[in-house]
Amino acid sequence: MRRFPWWAAGFLTLLILIAALVPWLGLHDPYAIATNRQFAPPTWDHPLGLDELGRDVLSRLLWGSRTSLSIALASATVGLIVGSLLGMLGGFLRSFVEPIILRATDALLCFPPVLLSLLVVTLCGVGFSTLIPLMGFIFMPGFIRVAYSSVLTVRSQDYVEAMRVLGAAWPRIIAGAILPNIAGPLLVQFSLAVSAAITLEAGLSFIGLGVAPPTPTWGGMIGAGRNVVVQAPLHLLWPCLALTLTIISVNMFCDGLRDVLDPQSRPARAARRSSSGPAPMAAPSPGLLVQGLSVEIATDRGTIMPVKDISFAVAPGRTLALVGESGSGKSLTGLALTGLLPTNAVVSSGAAWLDGTELLHQEEAKARKLRGKSVAMVFQDPASSLNPVQRIGAQIGEMLRLHDPADAGPVSPRVVRLLERVGIPDPARRARAYPHELSGGMRQRVMIAMAIANNPRLIIADEPTTALDVTIQAQILELLAELQREHDLALIFITHSLPVVAEIADTVAVMYAGELVEYGAVDQVFARPLHPYTRALLASAATDDGAPPAGIPGQVPAFTALPPGCRFATRCPNRQEVCETTAPSLREVVPGRETRCLRWKELA
Amino acid sequence: MIWFAKRIGLSLLLVWMVATMAFAAIHVVPGDPAEIMLSEGGFAPDPSTVRALRKELGLDKPILTQYGNWLHGVARGDLGAALTDGVPVSDVIAQRLPRTLELILAATVFAALLGLPLGTLAAVYRGSVLDRTLNAFAALFDGMPVFVLATVLIFVLARQLRWVSTGGYVPFATDPIDHFKLLALPTIAVGLGLGAVVLRMTRAAVLDTLMRDYVRTARSKGAGPLRILVHHVLRNALMPVVTVLALHMGAMLGGTVLTELVFNWPGISSMMIDAVNSRDYPVVVGTLFTIATLFVLLNLAVDLIYGFLDPRVRN
Repeated sequence: MRRFPWWAAGFLTLLILIAALVPWLGLHDPYAIATNRQFAPPTWDHPLGLDELGRDVLSRLLWGSRTSLSIALASATVGLIVGSLLGMLGGFLRSFVEPIILRATDALLCFPPVLLSLLVVTLCGVGFSTLIPLMGFIFMPGFIRVAYSSVLTVRSQDYVEAMRVLGAAWPRIIAGAILPNIAGPLLVQFSLAVSAAITLEAGLSFIGLGVAPPTPTWGGMIGAGRNVVVQAPLHLLWPCLALTLTIISVNMFCDGLRDVLDPQSRPARAARRSSSGPAPMAAPSPGLLVQGLSVEIATDRGTIMPVKDISFAVAPGRTLALVGESGSGKSLTGLALTGLLPTNAVVSSGAAWLDGTELLHQEEAKARKLRGKSVAMVFQDPASSLNPVQRIGAQIGEMLRLHDPADAGPVSPRVVRLLERVGIPDPARRARAYPHELSGGMRQRVMIAMAIANNPRLIIADEPTTALDVTIQAQILELLAELQREHDLALIFITHSLPVVAEIADTVAVMYAGELVEYGAVDQVFARPLHPYTRALLASAATDDGAPPAGIPGQVPAFTALPPGCRFATRCPNRQEVCETTAPSLREVVPGRETRCLRWKELA
Repeated sequence: MIWFAKRIGLSLLLVWMVATMAFAAIHVVPGDPAEIMLSEGGFAPDPSTVRALRKELGLDKPILTQYGNWLHGVARGDLGAALTDGVPVSDVIAQRLPRTLELILAATVFAALLGLPLGTLAAVYRGSVLDRTLNAFAALFDGMPVFVLATVLIFVLARQLRWVSTGGYVPFATDPIDHFKLLALPTIAVGLGLGAVVLRMTRAAVLDTLMRDYVRTARSKGAGPLRILVHHVLRNALMPVVTVLALHMGAMLGGTVLTELVFNWPGISSMMIDAVNSRDYPVVVGTLFTIATLFVLLNLAVDLIYGFLDPRVRN
């Protein structure tokens, strides 16, 4: 995370104080000429020496900050007031004022600021009285756009609608609802304008068309310093340094401001990439075996564990369904097994073996060879999971090429065969299509073709049918089941839809708030659930259409505020005092059946 | 087809508004343009001279007639004649504009060569010392006004190290090598600032693309980092960056004024400054209009190309 640039804020505060207090700082008169002491070197009395007319350089530099900042702040304020008023007007009077204001803004933005300034300065002369309104006018479009779009966003929001229905007058709505919302973006725009104004004023003064000499300005000092650079290079350095430092500080401050106002723009913190603990002894059984898998994520509010101590097994040719609401940790479990966790997450303990090969403690180079070869994934949204600018044939071909032995034959006939196998009509032609030219169901078939390309041992399908139409869902499920039989695959099917589980899975693992709460054969679990959460899921599944279970009141607790006892206690209809104090463990209570409920026996 | 027509129509409307604004600029300010043009050092000009100039410029006609004449002239590519030597403004612009465009093009290429690879590096090694160093340099060159950078470059490279000359212009036809030697320094001065912008945009775009689902798919195939970067990230990330860069070229049309001045590069901007100093109003307005129109056309071109490339844009 980027920290707020306090040094920039500090420098700017100092600068503003200097600019405000410069007449009382006891400096030399910045206009006092001493022609007999041109370019006098620094002394105690004149720390930066004297300039080409024998004027005190330090004094002129600090007075220059006053010129620079007063013009920049004044013109940005003019732009802010006029621009935001016009922008709000455009946002409210949408019939005829809006297009006029917007088009005029577009046209105004076509004129380069420096050239426009040159024209106006020609006509009106140099000086403060020209520069402030001129630059205010130049920076107006930015404020118009920010204010206009903020008004449009805010006025469509519920509470503004509510205020209107309740009969609040527009001035009250503006003061109560709109100003607080656009204050942030306008502040950012204001600091952008200040930065641009400082640059523009300095540039104009540099060519003598901004603030006229002898008024001390940084731009003017740079212009003068340029002519004497051979005799006195330092006279060029000081104003350049002051100007550049000021602009960079304003820019940094502006970036920091934006981060504070828009926390989403902050980049996520990357986690340490170390899987702790040595890999436990290899288990030579065929299929997938997961033991004690935990995932940690470093967040701003401490480390959380969204997947905790998960164990299960999937034999070849069998299907395990991982079931749970959003945030239960089921997708992270899948990603952890393939080594695809987001950068801020890390496997903190546990191990997994696929046909005897350890998956979680491999070096990256070896893990890469397993990924796509032994373990393949099918993701939820095929529209975003396919590269939009590559032909689908190339994307499937990449999967083949990455794992082909050196003597493998040509790729394209195999791609066509794969497309044919997953039921895509006219596969030779479709191989040349881009993802956006296919339907959602076709795209998911492409993803599946990619997954089976290298005859993997395990496929992890993360909600592969959620983004699809109901009719297409059934076809995709059938295809997966068929391919599984054909290749004797172990399949992990991650879903929140129980009807889908009943259709495809042999074993079901129910997850809640990062933990397994029930585990067993699908027919047994469905017939006689041993955990209240499973029961609630089944009860709400009658109306299930992909929405989270409506029958369970409350929400999954946040990982930063987990209850001390049973994690489901807060929502459980069968809760007793003991549930809120004792954290239950997952126990095998009936052969092949596991539950995390303390009261399973009484409730069964 | 309707989308293209709409887009072109909107641009024409914008050109008309630009022409109107350029015309208005001279008339909304208080005082008589002819008088302002002739006044020198605060002395009131001779009334008969003012009258003659007003007649010559058509300022004595009703304002609507003047407006009509201006639009009519603009439509035929006639922007009037310069006051100082009577040469048609369009001829002067035609002579100067290519030099400015050359400088802009060179600076854009320089900025792209600098910013695209370095921005990608910064994104790939985000949070590293390299990333922070590159970001610091980007902040420096982005914040440093171009005339400051130009002045510093001249001082260091030309005066102290004597690697290049301080400025000037030699036509390509006269001496190609000297031509490019003189082009180098202004190119770097403009290109470093723009390169900083490109670096930041590239970094943000690559970081954004790295988080896309299809990059995760590529990782799930077992593709290595370099392959993912080259085959899946760069093409998706760099398209928008290149678009913004093209739009920036338009914004630079007026942004090279100070650079041209510092390096004695006789492009359109330095002509503009000369015109401002000699109060040659037709040249100033004509140049302003030309540059604004070029800006509109460049935007239109980028839009249309995008429309051809991506059918989704049209809706």
